[in-house]
Amino acid sequence: MLRLQNVVKTYGGKSAVTALAGIDLTVTGGEMVAIMGPSGSGKSTLLNLLGGLDVPTSGSILVAGTDLADKGEKERSMFRRTTISYIFQAYHLMPTLKVSQNVALPLHLAGESSAEVSRRVAQALKDVGLEGRSSHLPDELSGGERQRVAIARALVTGAPLLLADEPTGNLDTARGEEILNLLRAIHRERGTTIAMVTHDHHAASACDRLIRLRDGRVEGDGPVAGGGR
Amino acid sequence: MNFLLRTLSLSYVRRHLMKTMLTLLGVVVGVATFSAIRSAQGTLVKGIRSTVDRVAGKAHLQITMAGGVPEEVQEKVRALPGIRAISPVIEQIVVPERGELGSLMVIGIDLLGDREMREYGFEGEDADLDDPLLFLAQPDSAIFTRDFAQRAGLKTGDTLPVRVPTGVRRVAARGLLSPKGFAEAFGGNLMVVDVYAAQELFGRGRRFDRIDVRLAEGTTVAQGTATLAKALGPAYRVETPDRRGKQMEQTVNNFVAGFNITSGFALSIGTFLIFNAFNVAVNRRRRDIGTLRALGATPRQVQSLFLMEALVIGLIGGAVGCLAGGAIAEGFLKMMGQTTDTIYGVTSSGGSVRFPPGIILESVLLGIVASLIGAWNPALAASRISPTEAFAKGAFQAKIAANQAPRIAAGVVALDCAILMALFPPYAGNPLILSIMALGGVGMVLLVGPLSRLILRLLAPLLMGLSPVAGRLCSDALLGAPRRTSGTVMAMAFSLTFVFGLGGYMGSMTATMVKWMDDVLTSDLYVRASANWSRPDFLFPGTLRQELLKVPGVRAVESVRTIRPFYQGHQIVISSFEVGPVMKRIKYEYFSGNEQSIVQGVGRQGMCFVSENFCGRFNLGVGQSVELMTPTGPVRFPIAAVVRDYGSDQGAIYMDRNTYLRHWQDDRVDIFDVSVAAGADVGQVRNLMRAKLAGKMPALISTRQEFIAEIKKAIDAFHALTRVTVFLALVVAFLGIVTSLLISVAERTREIGVLKALGAIPSQIVRSVVVEALVISLVAVIVAIPAGNLFAAFMEGAVARFYTGWSMPHEYPWEIMAQLLVTLPFVSTLAACIPARQAARLKITEAIEYE
Repeated sequence: MLRLQNVVKTYGGKSAVTALAGIDLTVTGGEMVAIMGPSGSGKSTLLNLLGGLDVPTSGSILVAGTDLADKGEKERSMFRRTTISYIFQAYHLMPTLKVSQNVALPLHLAGESSAEVSRRVAQALKDVGLEGRSSHLPDELSGGERQRVAIARALVTGAPLLLADEPTGNLDTARGEEILNLLRAIHRERGTTIAMVTHDHHAASACDRLIRLRDGRVEGDGPVAGGGR
Repeated sequence: MNFLLRTLSLSYVRRHLMKTMLTLLGVVVGVATFSAIRSAQGTLVKGIRSTVDRVAGKAHLQITMAGGVPEEVQEKVRALPGIRAISPVIEQIVVPERGELGSLMVIGIDLLGDREMREYGFEGEDADLDDPLLFLAQPDSAIFTRDFAQRAGLKTGDTLPVRVPTGVRRVAARGLLSPKGFAEAFGGNLMVVDVYAAQELFGRGRRFDRIDVRLAEGTTVAQGTATLAKALGPAYRVETPDRRGKQMEQTVNNFVAGFNITSGFALSIGTFLIFNAFNVAVNRRRRDIGTLRALGATPRQVQSLFLMEALVIGLIGGAVGCLAGGAIAEGFLKMMGQTTDTIYGVTSSGGSVRFPPGIILESVLLGIVASLIGAWNPALAASRISPTEAFAKGAFQAKIAANQAPRIAAGVVALDCAILMALFPPYAGNPLILSIMALGGVGMVLLVGPLSRLILRLLAPLLMGLSPVAGRLCSDALLGAPRRTSGTVMAMAFSLTFVFGLGGYMGSMTATMVKWMDDVLTSDLYVRASANWSRPDFLFPGTLRQELLKVPGVRAVESVRTIRPFYQGHQIVISSFEVGPVMKRIKYEYFSGNEQSIVQGVGRQGMCFVSENFCGRFNLGVGQSVELMTPTGPVRFPIAAVVRDYGSDQGAIYMDRNTYLRHWQDDRVDIFDVSVAAGADVGQVRNLMRAKLAGKMPALISTRQEFIAEIKKAIDAFHALTRVTVFLALVVAFLGIVTSLLISVAERTREIGVLKALGAIPSQIVRSVVVEALVISLVAVIVAIPAGNLFAAFMEGAVARFYTGWSMPHEYPWEIMAQLLVTLPFVSTLAACIPARQAARLKITEAIEYE
C-alpha cells in the first residue's frame, strides 16, 4: 500500500530545517501501523507526505502504486478523494455544518449524487454509532463524538488508506479507548490500512506494527508487543 | 459546489452577518452610485433629445443663428421652392410662482401658421381654439397641457402667475393640450404662447430663436438643406431636429462625462472593499480550506467556492444597488440638469429618472464583475493554501513576500512612467489620459502596501510614547497583520487621492478663474437682464446704454454682447464690447500680442483677439485670421493677440462692438458694465438705475463683488462632483474601517482575553481599537497627500488641456484636506465604535479558549 524510498523533506531557504532525512519504508495493505517519536522527529511531516498534503524534497512515495511526488496539486487532491482518508487530533470539522453535512463533505466534493450521499452518510454514521446526532452541530457534541464524526467522514468514501494524526490526543482515556476500538474494528472488518501518528504508547499498542522516528530517520520498525490487542 | 455554497458559505454568512452586510454595502454603494449616475445621465440626455424632437413636431429642418434669427428671414424662407410651411419659434424656461409645479417650458409659436407644424390635439371644450385669432386677441393667452393643468388645478379661463424677466405675470389658460406628441415635451410642463408676445416677454427684439421648416412633398431633406443654406448663407445653421438634438447632447457631454469618473470610482471602491473582505475571509477560514483540501477538494474547487460567493454578493449587491440607485438618481438628475441649464443653456425635459432594463442589467453585471475582480486575488490565494500550512498552529497571516524590492521597483517604474507620460505626452486625448491613469493606478496598488508598512513602523514609537498600552496594542495589531488592513488602507488611500486630485483640480480652476475675474471684471456695477449665463432670458436694446449714461453718478457704460456660434464643430464664444474704454480698466495676461495691439488692432482696425484655448484648439495665433460666418457673409478677422481667458472651455473670440454691429447687425446687449464717477456711491447709483428701469425691463444689477460671487456660484455647480466623491470617500473609510476592525478584534480574541486576564480594563481595550482606526486613516491620508497632489497636477495639466485647452497653475486642495482632516477622525472613531464595544465585552474565559 505504501512504499517510501529515500524520502527527504526540508523546510525553509537559507536556514533550512530537515524534517525527514531519507526515509525508506514499506506498509502492506491491511496493516495497522503506529508512528511514534519525540516532538520534531518528523511524524506529522511523514503523515502529510503519505496523504499527499505535501510533497517530498526528494525521494519517491508510492501510495497504492501511485507516486505522489510526481503529481501536481490537482492530481493529488483527486487521488485523496478515492484512496486516502484523514482523521485529525483537532477533528477539523466544519463548525457551521451539521454532523451529516460534515460527513457528506468529501462525497459532495467528489460529485456524488444526492441519493448516494444520503445513503452512504447514514451508513457511516450508523457505523460509528451516531445515527441520532446527524442534525447536531459539532459544538453540541462531546470530544469523543466529534472524533467519531471525523471517523465517519473518513469512512464514508471507502478509501483503503486511513491516516490518523493523534486521533486520541484531545480525548480522555475512556473516550480515547472507544476511538481506538472503533479504528481497530474498521481495520478488522474493512481491511483498511491505517497509519496512526501518536505520542501515546497505549494507542500504539492497538496497532500491529510500530515505526519509531527520531531526527527525521526511522529509528526502529517492528511489531508491537501484544499488538492489536 | 452547490452543496458547499449552500452549507459552508451560507453558514459563514450567518455567523458573520455584520461583516457580510458591510461587504455587501460596498457593492451596493458602488452599484447605486453607478446606476444612479447612468440613469440620470441617460434621462438628461434623452430629455434633451426628446424635448427637441417633440417640440420639433413635423418640422424637417430648423434654422438657427448665433444671436437669433431676424424676423425678415421668415419671408425669405417662405418664398423658397420646396417649402411647405415655416413657423418661427421662441423657447424659454420660466418658473411658476408655485415652485412645486416645476419649471415650465414656454414655446412661443405663430398659431396662425403652426398647425402645419405641430399637432395640438385640442378636444371638446377647447375646440374654440380652432380659431387662433381669438387666442391672439388676448395678450395674456397661454395654452397648457392637460396633465400640467390638472396638477396646477387650472381650468380654461383660470390664470397662473409665472415669473418672467419683467416680473411676475399672470397668464390665462385659453386651451388645454391632449397628452400626446408635442404636449409630451418637457415632461408635459409646457406653456404655449404667441411668438410675438414671447419676443416682448423675453427681450428677443425682432428675432426668433429659430425657424422650423416643413418641406413640401417630394423635397428631400438634403435638397431642402441645400436650398436653405444657399439662400441664407453660412451664418445660419440649417439642420434636422435630430442633428440639433445631437449637437446639444455633445455640448453637455464633457460635463456629463465627468460623472463617469465618479461612478467608476464608486465601483472601484466597491471592488476594494470586496478585496478586503475576501482577503480577511480567506485568513479566517484557512482551517476550513485546509480541511476541504485534505478531503480532496482541488485548488480550483476552493477558488471557485470563493468566486461563487463573490458572484452571489455581486448579484445581491447589484440588485440592491439598483434599487438604492433609483432612490438617489433624482438627486443626480437635478444636480446635472441645473448645471447644464445654467452653464450650457441646454435644457432637458423635467421628467422623472428613467431606469431602463439596459441600465439595470449593466449595473448588476458591473456589480458582479467588480465583486469577482475584488475576490479574484484572495480566492487565488485561498486555492494556494496548502493543508499543512492551514493546520499549522498559531496565528496565521497570508504571507507577504519577504523581498518587496521587485514590487517596489515595479511600482516606482509604473508611477514614473505615468509622470513622464503626463509631462511629455507621446500621444494625445483619451488614450493618453487612460494610459496615465492606468499606470498611476498600478503604481499605487504596488506601492501603497510597502509604503503603509513603512509609515506604520515609523509611527509605532510615537504611538507607544503617546499611549503606552493602547499605542502598543494598536501598532502590534497593525504591524502583525498587515494584510488585514492593507485592503482598507488601499481603498482609503485611493479614494482620498481621488478626492484630493479632483478637489485640487476644482480648487485650482476656481482660484484661477477668481484671479482672472479680478483682472477682467473691474467695473463697479453689472446690469444684466437674465440670471442664466449662457441662454439669457432677456436681452437689452443697445439704446439703453445712453439711458444708463444719464443716471447721475455714472461715469462710463460699456455694452457686452455674447453669442455662442459653432466653429469647426465646437460651440465657441464670440464676445464684443467697446474695446477702447474697456482696455483702460482691465488687465490681461498675454501669450502673444499686447495691450497696444488690442487697442490698435481690435479697437480700430476690426481685428479680434482670442483666448489661449482657442489658439491651442484651432491652431491659430497672431498673424493669422479666423474666418467667421456672419449674417453678412463669411468674414476673416485677423488675430491681434492671444490672452489667458476662461470665458469658454471651447475657446473665445473678442472683438470691438462696432465690428460686431457691422457684421452681425445685432445691437442687443447681454450685460452693461457700469463705472461710477469718482466719489459717487455705488449703492446709490444702483438704486437710481433700478428706479429708472423699474417696470420697463428686467434688470439684475450687481456690484463687482456680487457679480464675481454669482459667477463663482455657477462654477461651484461643478463642485457637486467633488462633494459626491468626498461623501463616497467617507463611506469607504467607514465601511473599510468597520470591516477591518471587526476582523482585527475577532482575530485577536485570544490576545484580548489574555490582556484582560492580565488586568487590561475595557476602556484600554476600546482605546486601542479606536487608535487603530485613527492610525489606519492617518496612514491612508499620509499616502494620499502626495498621490493626490500628483493626481491634481495631472488633472490640471493633461486632463484640463485636453478638455478645455486651459492651463491652470497647480493649487493644492487645502480646503478639502482641512475638511477631511476634521471629518475623518470622527468617521474613524464612529466606525471603531462597534468593534471596540465587541472587544471590550469579550468574556475572558471564552476569549482565551478561542481559536
